[in-house]
Amino acid sequence: MSNVDLLGRRKFIAGLGVAAGAAMVAPAMAVSEKADGVKWDKEVEVVIIGSGFAGLAAAIEATKLGAKDVHIFEKMSYFGGNSAINGGLFAAPGTPMQKKENVDDSVERMVNDQLASGRGIADEGLLRHVASHALEALQMTLDAGSEYHPYLQQLGGHSVARTYQTTVSCGAGITQPLYKECKRIGVNTHNRSKFEGFLVGKDGKVVGVKMRTNYHFNEDQPGEVLNIRAKKGVIMATGGFGQNVDLRMAQDPTLTAEVGCTNAPGATGEGMFEMFRLGAIPVHLAHIQSGPWASPDEGGFGYVSNYSIYNFPHSMAVNRLTGKRFMNEIADRKTRADAELSCRNEKGEALPPILITSYKDSKKHPNTKKVIKYNVGWKFDTIEELAKHFDVPLKPLKAQIEEYNSYVKSGEDKQFGKNMTKAKDKYIEAPFTVVRLWPKVHYCQGGVQVNVKAEVKDSFTGKSIPGLYAAGEVCGGIHGVSRLGSCSIPECMVMGMTAARSIMKA
Amino acid sequence: MKNFNIILALVLLGLTSLSVQAVEIRDYHKDVIGKDCKACHDNGIKQFPSDESCLQCHDVDDLAKQTARSEEDKWQNPHNNLHYGKDLPCQECHSEHKTKQPLCSNCHTFKYDKHKG
Repeated sequence: MSNVDLLGRRKFIAGLGVAAGAAMVAPAMAVSEKADGVKWDKEVEVVIIGSGFAGLAAAIEATKLGAKDVHIFEKMSYFGGNSAINGGLFAAPGTPMQKKENVDDSVERMVNDQLASGRGIADEGLLRHVASHALEALQMTLDAGSEYHPYLQQLGGHSVARTYQTTVSCGAGITQPLYKECKRIGVNTHNRSKFEGFLVGKDGKVVGVKMRTNYHFNEDQPGEVLNIRAKKGVIMATGGFGQNVDLRMAQDPTLTAEVGCTNAPGATGEGMFEMFRLGAIPVHLAHIQSGPWASPDEGGFGYVSNYSIYNFPHSMAVNRLTGKRFMNEIADRKTRADAELSCRNEKGEALPPILITSYKDSKKHPNTKKVIKYNVGWKFDTIEELAKHFDVPLKPLKAQIEEYNSYVKSGEDKQFGKNMTKAKDKYIEAPFTVVRLWPKVHYCQGGVQVNVKAEVKDSFTGKSIPGLYAAGEVCGGIHGVSRLGSCSIPECMVMGMTAARSIMKA
Repeated sequence: MKNFNIILALVLLGLTSLSVQAVEIRDYHKDVIGKDCKACHDNGIKQFPSDESCLQCHDVDDLAKQTARSEEDKWQNPHNNLHYGKDLPCQECHSEHKTKQPLCSNCHTFKYDKHKG
């Protein structure tokens, strides 16, 4: 299954990379067809492709609105998509926890933070739609049984603390309850079911899908293809394409197989490309985001990512060549990933920077224990020990810590302008915990164009493609150049719910 | 003619057993499954077994008990894990004729010492 090399140190020095993309068996060509004369094998009310946050939220909402025969189709053998292995971080404005922590926030403020990170090309209308309904989506997870840490986090690029995180520090803390809720309310779920194309009726309306059954991912075993009629319509919630090395390299040639990826193996983008063939408008495909909190010492998202996300606000990221800071630790993801990639030795080879945190502050997050236990993070009693372990020049490092601590005291970061609110009273002091950082492909900002009804626009007619809806990472253009952390879960869920509301009204 | 039939039967028998022997199966399955491919291949010999096939003999609740970990690491239990609960199909981590890595090793460094593929 996995050819992910957990980075033997020797290989790391040689090439730096987690071999991510497993060699893929070329998928059978998926093609849409006219539905005229098609023999229907099955007729259902609502078809949902994909079982991540967006697909699960759509199924629950459609059922709530009276749908009696909702079907989720998932190509993998397991449900939850990439959502089941994501960080479980959920941003929303005006939440009960913000009231408790006296955080002044609003829909406008959240939208403005995202617009800044989007660097002028984000979709303000969609961002506002998602932020306005984020509380409803959060409530859906709570109703299904999701549990959250009793504190907020302030993620990179957010001007205030507005992020909830599940107690298991993972998206599974949402997908598992939502999946169980789907089962409880009678949603039909089908695994090993590979979407093979749309069936298109008169006036270009999507009236059904071709679905390969008994599908085994990456194996050459073609199951039977069924023609499934969708009476109300089809919701595409098929996610991004971060694991499809050829396709991501077509957009950005630097994202080779050597660059690690946090995504689930199934994030290969066929659903999105099929919508393009049908006529959907591609938006921002080249904006593929790397996560600056990832570690070269483990595969995928692992344990370190959430450790770093929690600790960045009160930690110091240090270039091992100079012993100095090199970025604002809570800048947006693109700013940080680019800064990390510039950390290199004299020969220009990658030299992953380190994140230094006081143990007294890091230990509050459950992942701290995990990173130390599984040898992807380290604890040091003295700065000398730390400097020796990572071969960092001691004197500049000591001077940097002293300087940084003066910013903690004054509340103003004169080096990189970091927002020091969450660093208050959190001086960098021994004992320390440390992880290494190196960006991994994490999220595709690009995808098909949708409107605030989750309808998919046709590039020829300029109108919405009848019978077709899309939600989640498969959609593009919402976030612009760089999505802020913890803004994907609200987007997936709100747009999934929106797609369900539209389909039930149509 | 009679001799020919006997020879043909012997040859066919030989071919059949040869094809059976061409694939390895786990030692611990030899006594219970033997050479009956259909014991597992419920979708036809050339197809992967269904996800229910292993459950004819194995019970996921029992397996979850056997592989339980301490409270702190409880979600690393492969048969009742954080991401997929008890619903992960056996074939994601186990193969009868090849060896497989546990799905967890895509992202995590923790080990399953007793996992045989």
